[in-house]
Amino acid sequence: MPDQTSNGMHCNEFDALLTDMLDGVLSGAELDRFQAHARSCKACGPLLAEAEAGRNWLKGLTEVEPPASLVTSILASTTGVDSQRLRAPARAVQPHITWLDRLQASFLEPVWAMVRQPRFAMSFGMAFFALSVGLTVLGIKPGDIAKIPTSPTAIRHTYYNAQARVVRYYDNMRLVYQVQAVARRVKRDVAPAEPGPSKQKTNRNDTTQQPEQKQDRNYSQNDSHLILASAPLGPSEVYPLNRDLPVVSVTTYRRFV
Amino acid sequence: MEDVQVVSMLVRRCIAGDAAAWEEIVQMYNRRIYNICYRFAGSGSDAEDLAQEVFIKMYRTLSTYDPSKGAFVTWVTTITRNLLVDHFRKTKQDRMTDSMDTAPSDHEDAQPLSEQIQDQSAPPDVHVRRREVSETVHAALGRLSPELREAVILRDLQDMDYKEIATVLKVPEGTVKSRINRGRGELARLLQRTYRQVM
Repeated sequence: MPDQTSNGMHCNEFDALLTDMLDGVLSGAELDRFQAHARSCKACGPLLAEAEAGRNWLKGLTEVEPPASLVTSILASTTGVDSQRLRAPARAVQPHITWLDRLQASFLEPVWAMVRQPRFAMSFGMAFFALSVGLTVLGIKPGDIAKIPTSPTAIRHTYYNAQARVVRYYDNMRLVYQVQAVARRVKRDVAPAEPGPSKQKTNRNDTTQQPEQKQDRNYSQNDSHLILASAPLGPSEVYPLNRDLPVVSVTTYRRFV
Repeated sequence: MEDVQVVSMLVRRCIAGDAAAWEEIVQMYNRRIYNICYRFAGSGSDAEDLAQEVFIKMYRTLSTYDPSKGAFVTWVTTITRNLLVDHFRKTKQDRMTDSMDTAPSDHEDAQPLSEQIQDQSAPPDVHVRRREVSETVHAALGRLSPELREAVILRDLQDMDYKEIATVLKVPEGTVKSRINRGRGELARLLQRTYRQVM
């Protein structure tokens, strides 16, 4: 830029005021001096026209639209989060979650998802089949289930009955019985002699005090009893008293019914 | 231009790790930064890459922003300008204002700017004509030296005031005004020469 003064204004001053002039902020005497310098200075006059033209060209440029993927790539390269995924929870209205929804989300839906699997359906079918076969074999009908008593007294009664049946079954086992018989024999051998029959007769009807003796009366003492058996004799034979007869020793094993 | 409190709040939230706040900042400034990069670099693909780099740099240095030192938009523009200068140095596109008859690109078979306009003369559609003029001005802008180009882009395309531009360019206001005047004048001379050849 030439360094000269024209109409009281230096070219450097003109250059400094050029932007203000184009911005429209120059006024008054300063504007007059500026315009006078522009008219008289051969260098600054064209400069004003060119600067104004250049500014008008630039003002004609409109903003360009950035690519649609720009925001997504920026977010992916900075936070590593996709913008759509980021935007979704922010815009979504938070629904009111009840305890039923939570139960459904935490328990029912997983269970239902498991039930819907063919593997579970197959297992359930097999279990049902096995249960129905088992009930049929045991003679239990579905209608009997409704007859099961539910009152506490009935349940207690059923419990004791079941317990008694189990005890009876246990006691009636052959092995158990044999073991018990051996134990009793050993006990009897070791124990002193039993009281006389007269005493037994007096207490014959009183079984409450000696239940085991009553039982032994029929079974436990058979080991030592000798049962006489007689063979049929012919009519010509005389049956003499104190004659030697064959003696047969019989041991019986009876079981409780 | 920007609500200082809102932007400061966004920045604080972003520094605290709020991803939504960072997305708001990106949504707020991506258009501006992309346009600066596009007008300076000249091509859309370069502008996209540069804008992305600007935001990456912003994201990493967001905690260094000091609201007392200036507006957030000035800080953002400064980062953009610094990155554009680095990019310009890397690509060695240190081109001073050239004749309109020089090829606009490095390709040997590329047409000069005046020939591009001549080949596309007198289109019937006004919209097409306006778009062509816009492309011509954009091409001429790319012929300016980087110092003049950045000054006119920030002033005439981004509407920044001289003080902000001086802060971004780290030069006095007088230098900013001088560069703007020279840039506008150089652009006008380039375009006048072009249209004189077309006519």
